[in-house]
This record gives sequence, C-alpha cells and structure tokens, in this order.
Amino acid sequence: MTAPSAEPMFSTPRYATVPNRRPALYRVLVAQDAALATTLLDHLAPTLLLSLGGELSAAVEHEQLPSSEALYLRLHALLDQAQAGTCVQAIGDEVFVWQVHRVARQAGLLGDEIELFRQGARRRLYCVHCTRLQEIGAETESSCSHCGVRLLVREHFSQRLGAYMGVCIDPDRPFATVVQP
Amino acid sequence: MSALLEVQVAAVRQLTPVVREFTFAAVNGRLPGFSSGSHVQVVLPLAERTLRNAYSLLGDPRDSGVYRIAVRLQEASRGGSRYLHEQVQVGDRLQIGVPSNLFPLHSLARHHILVAGGIGITPFMAYLAELEAQGASFELHYAYRSGLTDAYTAELQARLGARFHGYDAAAGQRLDCANLLTGKPLGSHLYICGPQRLLDDLRARAAALGWSAGRLHWEAFAAPEPGLPFTAELTRSGQRIAVAGDHSLLEALEAAGVEVPNLCRGGVCGQCATGYLGGEVEHRDHYLDEQQRSHVLMPCVSRGGCSGPLLLDL
Ligand code: FES
Repeated sequence: MTAPSAEPMFSTPRYATVPNRRPALYRVLVAQDAALATTLLDHLAPTLLLSLGGELSAAVEHEQLPSSEALYLRLHALLDQAQAGTCVQAIGDEVFVWQVHRVARQAGLLGDEIELFRQGARRRLYCVHCTRLQEIGAETESSCSHCGVRLLVREHFSQRLGAYMGVCIDPDRPFATVVQP
Repeated sequence: MSALLEVQVAAVRQLTPVVREFTFAAVNGRLPGFSSGSHVQVVLPLAERTLRNAYSLLGDPRDSGVYRIAVRLQEASRGGSRYLHEQVQVGDRLQIGVPSNLFPLHSLARHHILVAGGIGITPFMAYLAELEAQGASFELHYAYRSGLTDAYTAELQARLGARFHGYDAAAGQRLDCANLLTGKPLGSHLYICGPQRLLDDLRARAAALGWSAGRLHWEAFAAPEPGLPFTAELTRSGQRIAVAGDHSLLEALEAAGVEVPNLCRGGVCGQCATGYLGGEVEHRDHYLDEQQRSHVLMPCVSRGGCSGPLLLDL
C-alpha cells in the first residue's frame, strides 16, 4: 500500500498562500525576485535561496542567477545531488513557478514536496492549433502570436506545459484573420 | 475473490524451523502471470472452518511456470499456518485465488530501499528478480533471527553482496531506522514489509526527515483480530447471519454463500467496501475516512456491536 497521495489532479492550478510547516531536511527556495521570498523565510530547515536578483535583508544563503535558464540549470544540478527530505518552494509568476515545478519533478520530488506561490499576472498560453506557446496576462481572449488564430483562453491548465489551453474562438474561421508578416 | 485456481503442491522445503516454502504447479493448463509484489489467497480447509490467507509470491515473475510462497508458523494464529506446516504434503491439491498486486514497485523511483522484518522478506524475493533485470539501484535491509527466521539469508548475501544489509537479532544486531534513511538520494522510495512496529517507526522517521508519505510503500497483510460475536442482517433479503468472535464478518458472509469482492483481507485495499444502513460498527480498517465510515464498512476486518444487528446493504 501507499498512502493516498496528496496530489490532486486539477485543471485550474491552485497555489499555496501560507507555507506549510512540515519538517524538511533541506529547503530550496526559488524566487524570481529575492524580495518576494521574505514572507517564506520563517522555516526551520536550512535554506538556500536561488533568485534572479533583488534584495533580501535576512541572512540566508543566497545565489543570484543571471537568467531563468541559468536558474533552472542550477536547480537541476542542485537537486541531482540532493537527499530525500529536500523540499522546494517557488515564488514568482505562473510561468516561472511551473518551470521550477517541472525541474523539481524531474529530479524526483513528489507533488507534496513542492509548494508554489504565485505572484503577478503573467500566464502562458498554449495554442492547440499550432502547438506553440506565448505569454499573456489576465485576458480571456487572445490571438496566437505564431499562427494568428483568435484564441479563447480556457481554464484548462497543463501542469506539464505550465500553460493554459488556447482554442479557436470561431470554429468557422480556424485560421489567421491577419496575414502574418 | 472470484475465480479459484486448482494447484498441486510440487515441492515443500523447510527453510528454517518455522518457515516452510511451498511450490505450486497448475493442475490444468498454465498459471496466470504475475507482477512482483503480488500475492495470492490460499484456501485452507481446516476441520472446523475454511480460511483464506494471503501470501506473497516469491521468485522471478517472468518465470510463471509455478508459484512459490513461504509461510511462517504462527503460534497464536487461527490455524492456517499450522495447517500448511503440518498437513500439506507434496502431491496435495489446494485452491488458490488469482494473483493480485497491492504492493507494486514504484516505476519512477531512482533508488529502491527494501526493508524486511522476518517473513516480510517474501515479497522482496520477487522484487529482487525484477530490480536486477532492470539494472535498478536498490538496497535490501533484512532483520531476522538466525536459526529461526533467517530464510534465504545465505542466498541473498551471495547474490546481492554489498547491497545486502542483514541484522541478526540473535547476535544483538539492530536495524537502526534513523540511520537507514539518512543520506538517501532524492528519488528514493522505501518499501516495508514486516511487523507493525517497524512500519510505524520508519514512517515516523521518514516524516521527520521531510519525506513525502508518497515515498513509502508497505505490505499490510494481517489476519483479522478476533472480537465479540454479533449479528449481521442482510436488509435486501432479511437474512440474519451470526458472526462468531473468531470469524471476520467477511468470512461469515462467505460461509453463508454471500460473495463480497476482496483482495487483501486486511483492511487496506478497499475492495470489500460494503454499505450499511444502521447498527453499531467497530471500524478497524486503514482505508476509509471518517465521512465514509458513516455509511461504509470493510467486512474483512471491521465488526458489528452487541447492541443490535448490523444492517448491511446487501
Ligand atoms: S479485502 Fe481489502 S479492505 Fe477488505
């Protein structure tokens, strides 16, 4: 038997609001902006903060990385050497936290060993027609920046892609309304 | 349990003074394949009653010509293990259920930590074949008492080398649960088969280290604990069934010809879930939550009370 897993399959993502107080051997805090991490520092486990910059007043081991890609690579390398009992908390916009989620899952963390805190309105949209991704805000309609189709932004969220599904609004016009340059 | 298979005892080996290994071959055709971690129910026709005990299948699952089980003689048991030890001989025929698996290997694990206490080694005898075939990373920890519950130790030592960690209680060696979990790689999964104490201890240690409960897997066969006699009523037919103190409700239902689907017979798999409409219930399962318990019970382990009949939705 395995304990019922605390990993609900949900299509609209839910985010943590207060950090859980479960014990951990080690914690990796991943923040887009280090200043955002302040609210998450109150935890007993030894912590390493990875960020893309920003100021943090508290005394915590802090590595700043020059780009998101560099940060994901660093996290990957770190988790590759980590021990069971390590947890990850990510804070940032939706695109960022789901990338961190993906790296952490690939490294072998289970869903309840990862906590995501969402900041900001940036979202990722997946065009189901041309299968490409773009970034959007809170809007519920958009045009695919690649194939030009008018898209309805569905609630359905893919954890794997960290993106919302965009489907053609007008089935009679499943093609671009503007010719792309 | 649905279909029963007819098997013949092809070999019997006494492994230790209290552990006996049985090999079963098909009487007709071939035995169905199984995955490592599977168990079968064995029907044991004792003089006074029929028992169905669950035993893990040993050996390499890809070699499905025969089934093998190892049985520890349980002094304080209801007589099933004694029957197997004292009555069953080569050439005898027995009925068994088809294999089912409540204890599979976790396919995404990067490292497998197997922990066995005594006869709890049995499911791992099938795991090892599969892990070795996959070239997977694993380690086996086996707590036993030499000269009593040390089945397969010599074979395992030779086969696994440094991946084998034995703890002989007769030599004062103790399995240290804290130590066992320290420094394990991130993708580790822990599999436990042994006494409840061992399971509880490892669970507590793992939680304190921040391991998700999803990293722990355990085999949980337990014979139903006896209780007080009570009466169950099948509300659809009005039939009343008296359940003796040393019978489970499931056994009493089966004896009355009422088939309830079941796998583990130990209150963990959820298969035997049965609705009830009234009466006192002593819930003893590890499956249902509080809310479900208001109208569902697990007859393989849970019991009614003595204040009045337990009204089953059957
Ligand atoms: S048979 Fe598994 S819970 Fe009853």
